[in-house]
Amino acid sequence: MTRMRALSVSAVGAMSLWVWSAPAQQVAEIDFESVGRAWPLEHDLNDYELVGATMRVPGTFRRDPNAFTGSARSGETPPGVEPLETDLFTSDDFYKDRELWSDPRYFRCNSPGAIEDMWGGNTNALIGDDPPASAPWGHCDRDYPRESIVSPYPFETAQEHYEALLDETRQRGGPTEHSYATVPSEWTGRYMHPGRTPGNQYWFRTRHLQVPTLLSVLTEEYQTRFVQEVYHQGNTNAAQWPSAYCWPEGFMRRWHAAAVWEHHIMVTPSLVQILAGVARNFITNIHIGREFNMDGRVPRLGADVPRWYGETIGFWDEDTLITWTSNIQGWKTHAAFDHSNFMQTIEIYTPNRDADGNFLGLNHEAIFYDPEALAEPVRIIRNYLKTSGFEEGDPYVFIECVQTIFPIDGRATPVSPGQVIEYEVPDMYGRPWAQIWDEYFEQHMERPEEEDIFSFE
Amino acid sequence: MKAPIRIGGLFVAATAIVAVMAVPVQAHHSFAMYDVQATQVFTGVVTRIDPAPNHLAIFFAPMNDERKNVVRDEDGEPIVWSVEMAGSAQMARQGVSVNSFPPGTVFSVGLHPLRNGEPGGTRDGGLFRCPDRTPPEPGMHCDSVEGHTPIGEGPLATPTD
Repeated sequence: MTRMRALSVSAVGAMSLWVWSAPAQQVAEIDFESVGRAWPLEHDLNDYELVGATMRVPGTFRRDPNAFTGSARSGETPPGVEPLETDLFTSDDFYKDRELWSDPRYFRCNSPGAIEDMWGGNTNALIGDDPPASAPWGHCDRDYPRESIVSPYPFETAQEHYEALLDETRQRGGPTEHSYATVPSEWTGRYMHPGRTPGNQYWFRTRHLQVPTLLSVLTEEYQTRFVQEVYHQGNTNAAQWPSAYCWPEGFMRRWHAAAVWEHHIMVTPSLVQILAGVARNFITNIHIGREFNMDGRVPRLGADVPRWYGETIGFWDEDTLITWTSNIQGWKTHAAFDHSNFMQTIEIYTPNRDADGNFLGLNHEAIFYDPEALAEPVRIIRNYLKTSGFEEGDPYVFIECVQTIFPIDGRATPVSPGQVIEYEVPDMYGRPWAQIWDEYFEQHMERPEEEDIFSFE
Repeated sequence: MKAPIRIGGLFVAATAIVAVMAVPVQAHHSFAMYDVQATQVFTGVVTRIDPAPNHLAIFFAPMNDERKNVVRDEDGEPIVWSVEMAGSAQMARQGVSVNSFPPGTVFSVGLHPLRNGEPGGTRDGGLFRCPDRTPPEPGMHCDSVEGHTPIGEGPLATPTD
């Protein structure tokens, strides 16, 4: 109950934003031992310090130009650390450095999020006077434990996980079939920006972990893709953020602090809708009581067409909503990793209540299965804090993204009306960001060979 | 060997893409860009499916007459065409999807070409998928290969002169 009280206090403070308190990172509290939900999270990320060099104020989106977090700047080396002869900021071919990727010093002990900030990606550039070689160092003795990133559950697939939870719910007398009279209508309403919700930090923001730690949960091909992402953020200053070009955000950006702000949740007996977004619309439609078509390469509800944000089914266990999402279009998350068309998730939404049983918001536990991208499943836990119903506050604004930034000579560049530019239409389903890097920054590199699909000799 | 896919270049042609056998009533653009009096027939290798909700497009490299490789430009790069069809959900129900037509798939299709001469067109007639990695005999199309899969109704289109 202590955690509940802490969150309740935060909810009051949250009404005046930027009031920071630090309750524990919360796992849902349930009154039985489940086969596949609400298992403890051993390491509370709020207890961990920022890993990489940054001007960020811990736990906020704010930067302070006088608050350097890091261990060395301007090309200097931290005391007691022996630098590598070649690292991300001095290498001209990261592909050749593969054996160094598991050493945090290759990244100067910076987190992926910190590397994204190096050239000023989120303002306050730290790259130094002789970029990129003058990049600063983070803290080599800091990291978030891998065991709190990977899923604690024994399931190898989302299907196994979902079926186990469904069986468990049946044994408990469910699934609960809600009518309009019984559906948890208190869920309906507006929820605070998860990134600004006190005590709501989680590892996918990638600021509390070393790059090799995140690499360790990826398959070999997706490790390469991730280092490519980090290299072009930190070395070449050729960041490619999809939403900058009005490209799709991609499924995993739903968990990125900057991509989804206030959440709007609507609950009906047959459909629960979660709506959020800043540059693009994230619409999660949870179809209650439906079953997936299992005939194709991945489970799906509709036609055999990958969907940017997947398709979702679910069921209720009293006032807890258990969901399965599949048929997701593969894409990337900048400062994080690519996911594939085989990504599937199990997500559990559990009410958070105060000591008096009053509804505060939702605990959102998500387990990600992607056999192509992930070496093993991973888990993210976060909380939504309800701020109001729809009777008040600003309405959701449906977003139509109009492109003003284009890749010019391989770099995202704002252009003005009337300006004439040369533009190569991207192959949107072939990692368009990587095509740009390949053409402008990797021609001299020893890139992996691609399969020849054209020869039938 | 590195596959010489330069999909960026091919998508210049894709700015023009197209639709189904006949102009669909739900089309979201004019089809006046295509010369419906002309029909070309190709057997090609899929480089990419664009599963756009309004008009799915197949990008493909036409095979040479020997059916051993693809037609290439003076730099040795495959020349890539696009053929636009119905919406991705409708095409998936017919059997054309990202999953059923991965890169490397060999298929045959007729199309009405773009009036401007760029390598793209709108589908005309039936579409035929060859068995995996099994192109037709020289000069032939997938409808002649044992084990082929017909997509949609009707035979392969007949080319105009």
